[in-house]
Formats: sequence, C-alpha cells, structure tokens
Amino acid sequence: MTPYLLSILEGSLLVLQVGLASLVVAVVLGMAGALAKTSDRPMAVWVADVYATVIRGVPDLVLMLLLFYGGQMGLNALLEALGDWPAIEIDPFAAGVLTIGFIYGAYMTETFRGAILAIPKGQMEAAMAFGMRPWQVFWRITLPQMIRLALPGFTNNWLVLMKSTALVSLLGLQDMTYLAKQAGAAARGEITNAPLLFLAFAALLYLAMTSVSMWVLGWLEKKYSMGIRLERD
Amino acid sequence: MFKKSLLLGSIIMAASLSASAKDWKEIRVAIDPTYKPFTYKTADGKPTGFDVKIAQALCDKVKAKCVFVEQQWDAMIPGLLAKKYDTIISSMSITEERLRQVAFTGKYYNTPSKVVVRKDIKTDGSPASLTGKKIGVLKGSTQEKYAKGELAKAGVNVVGYDAQDQVYLDIKAGRLDGTVADVVEVQGGFLDTPDGKNYVYVGQPLRIKKYFGEGVGVAMRKGDKDLKEALDKAIKDIRADGTWKKIADEFVPGVDIWGE
Repeated sequence: MTPYLLSILEGSLLVLQVGLASLVVAVVLGMAGALAKTSDRPMAVWVADVYATVIRGVPDLVLMLLLFYGGQMGLNALLEALGDWPAIEIDPFAAGVLTIGFIYGAYMTETFRGAILAIPKGQMEAAMAFGMRPWQVFWRITLPQMIRLALPGFTNNWLVLMKSTALVSLLGLQDMTYLAKQAGAAARGEITNAPLLFLAFAALLYLAMTSVSMWVLGWLEKKYSMGIRLERD
Repeated sequence: MFKKSLLLGSIIMAASLSASAKDWKEIRVAIDPTYKPFTYKTADGKPTGFDVKIAQALCDKVKAKCVFVEQQWDAMIPGLLAKKYDTIISSMSITEERLRQVAFTGKYYNTPSKVVVRKDIKTDGSPASLTGKKIGVLKGSTQEKYAKGELAKAGVNVVGYDAQDQVYLDIKAGRLDGTVADVVEVQGGFLDTPDGKNYVYVGQPLRIKKYFGEGVGVAMRKGDKDLKEALDKAIKDIRADGTWKKIADEFVPGVDIWGE
C-alpha cells in the first residue's frame, strides 16, 4: 500500500506547483482587471468587463479543454498549412497554469475591485491634491488598505483555485486525484475498499494544504488589520 | 507531406490531407491506467495489463518504439486529434459514434457483457423479468446504450454513473439491485470481492452489435491510413504466432476474450 500512498503524496507537489504558479498569474491579471474596471477609460472598463463576465460564466472544465486541445489543434493546422514546420507542442504544465491563472484572474478582478471601491474616494483625491502621481497614490494609499480588504475574498479564491488544479489531469498531468484513482484501480482485489481509501488520503492531503494556507492568510489578515478597529453598529 | 497547392485550401483541409507517409519509428500510445486487468499501473508506477502488453507486441511487430502517455478517459479522443499521441490502446470499444471522429483497427479483443443482480431476485435476465428493478451502468458505455435501449423500455430504472467503481459502491450502499457490465470487469472488480458474494450473473452473454459494437480496437487519427494498415496486420500476426494468447492467459486467464 505504501508505494501507492507515496505516489499520491508526490502528486501533491504538482498541486502546489500548479496552484502557486497559477496564483501568480491570477493576481497579476486580477490586479490589471481591477484597475481597468475602476479606471475612467471606457475601453479599459469594457475589456475588463468582458473578461470577468465571459470567464466567470464558462465552466473551468470546458475552458481547459477548449484552450489546450482546441488551441493545439488550431496550432497544428496552422503549422501544416504554412509548410514543413516542426510541430510545436503546447506544454501541459504551462497550459494548465495559464488556463487556471486566466480563470481565477477573473475572480480576483472582482475581489480586488470590491476592495478598491471600499476605500473612501476622498483619500485618493486628497493624495492627488497633495501632488502625488497616480502610481504613488496606488502604492501609498490604495494598495496597503486594499490588501486588508481583499484578503478574505482572496483566501476564498485561493482555496477554490487549489482544488481546481485537479482539472490538470485532463491535460495529461498526474495530479493527486488522478493518482488516487489509478491507485484505487490497481489495488482492487488486494486492498478492500481501495478506491475510497486512496481518495480519502488525497482528501486529507488537500485538507492539510488548505489548512496551512488558511493559517498563513489569517495571520496576514491580522497583520494588515493592525491599528484598525472594525466598527460595527 | 505538404503540397504547395494546399496553401490555397482551407486550413482544415490542409490539416486532414497532409498527414501521410510518415515513418513510424516511434508510436505514442495513450492509456488510462484505471482499468484492471486491462490497463493499470504496478505499485512501482509502471504501466501494465492486457492492453499495455498488446501495445508492446504490436509495436514490436511494426518495428517501432512504444511510448506510453497517460491520459484521462474524458480527454482521450481530443488528445488524439490534437496529436498529443498517435494511438489509443486502452480498451476503447469500436462504436459508430467514435468512428465519426477517429479510425479503428479491427478488434483485438471482444468480451461480452452480462447482467448481474442480487441472488434473491427472481429473473432470467430478460428485460421483461427485470421490470421495476434499479440497474446501475457506466455513463457513455456500451452497457449504458444497451440498458437504455432494451431495459429502460421494459420499465427498468436505469441509473448512470461516472465510473464502474461507483456502481459497485452504490450497490454496496443498497441503492441498486444490480448492474450490466463487461464480464471480465465485473468478475474481478465485484463478483470475486467480498462485496459481490450475494450477486450472480443472469441471462446469456450480451453481444448485440447495435449496442456493443464489434469489440475493442486500436484508435488512431483518420489521416493515418498507413498506421492503421500496419497495425491491422500486426494484430493478425500476434494472433497467428501465439503472442496474443500468451498475453491473454497472463492477464485474463480462463476466459476466451477474443469473442466470436
């Protein structure tokens, strides 16, 4: 049984790699989307709107298949039409990271936008009145407060993102869930209740990862809330 | 190879016509190793099973190197079309629906399916004698087609599941009266386990072509006609020289899985 459990444990590394790399992509896209959406340029607002609407409206699974397989087929057809070009293979890891990052960037957009809107506009106006440039206003006034306001939503997004990394097995990567399924199939007849046992092990590993994340992010939330008393009435 | 005249044709035309006359020194074979005893992985992570050994034998015959690619079932055909690999040798049944998208060799095995129900149910396995019973099947499978086409019409409650293992789990949970499944699958995966001790086969082996197709074949892209020819010949060769039988006896002893 141990070799199967070890292979599932190895799969958890892939979950972390794909998860963290996608998170970087998602944060960058989310930040860009949120700034675009709160800007006063109609074109930027429109692009960010379309992005957040379309991506949040299509299931992850469908997008993943569409971008990876559809993209590859399009690329193959294009290269063949151009002549004797060597085949270019879309790397499954990069494709998985970009797709998940692209999807969760849309959710991050909304989370960050909400945080920006929650900061009283007067503060930004005051900073402008002091002669700060837009990036200085963002860096000194908006960002530090935004982090505190965005963290609860950010935590939520991260937890969902980490679990949706299970989708990368569709791209031929061996993530924890798929390895658990394989182990369940291989060990049947030898170990009673094999499928459930290995899935439960994978579930425990996910739970361990999410628990650690929640603990770290909770600590960050406290740190950024220092000196602020939440007023409720 | 590429023909200049195709430049003017549509991209899709080019994609489907230009693939030909390739030297098959290496054949990339997709497997989904979650289907014991046909395709699974040993504890140390190596692919094995009837499908895998057959694939290796076929590659040997056409003097190519087999490279195994693991792929999840749902994405099998998309991956083939996107050229992530060249063949699927993973217990894929030859069905009309799949033939619209990909090409198949002739069968390399064909096992019948059977109805399995709880011992205390009085039935001869015919649709009419199962009226009112609840039967679980694998979604998208040939067995589901049969169950929907024949059993459901006779008033059997047919329920679809994402994996055959889930059917067994639900039988154990008491929500199902039985299943329709491939005999090799259901024998090893259920009847031979403690959970299956109160369950039995009923009725004749099911081989109706309309539902069950012509057996399991090697799938490849429609454009790779040379590969199909080579592999069809290789299947004949391993049948003739005894390799096929040796592999069948190793993984599925005691049953004739070639079929009629």
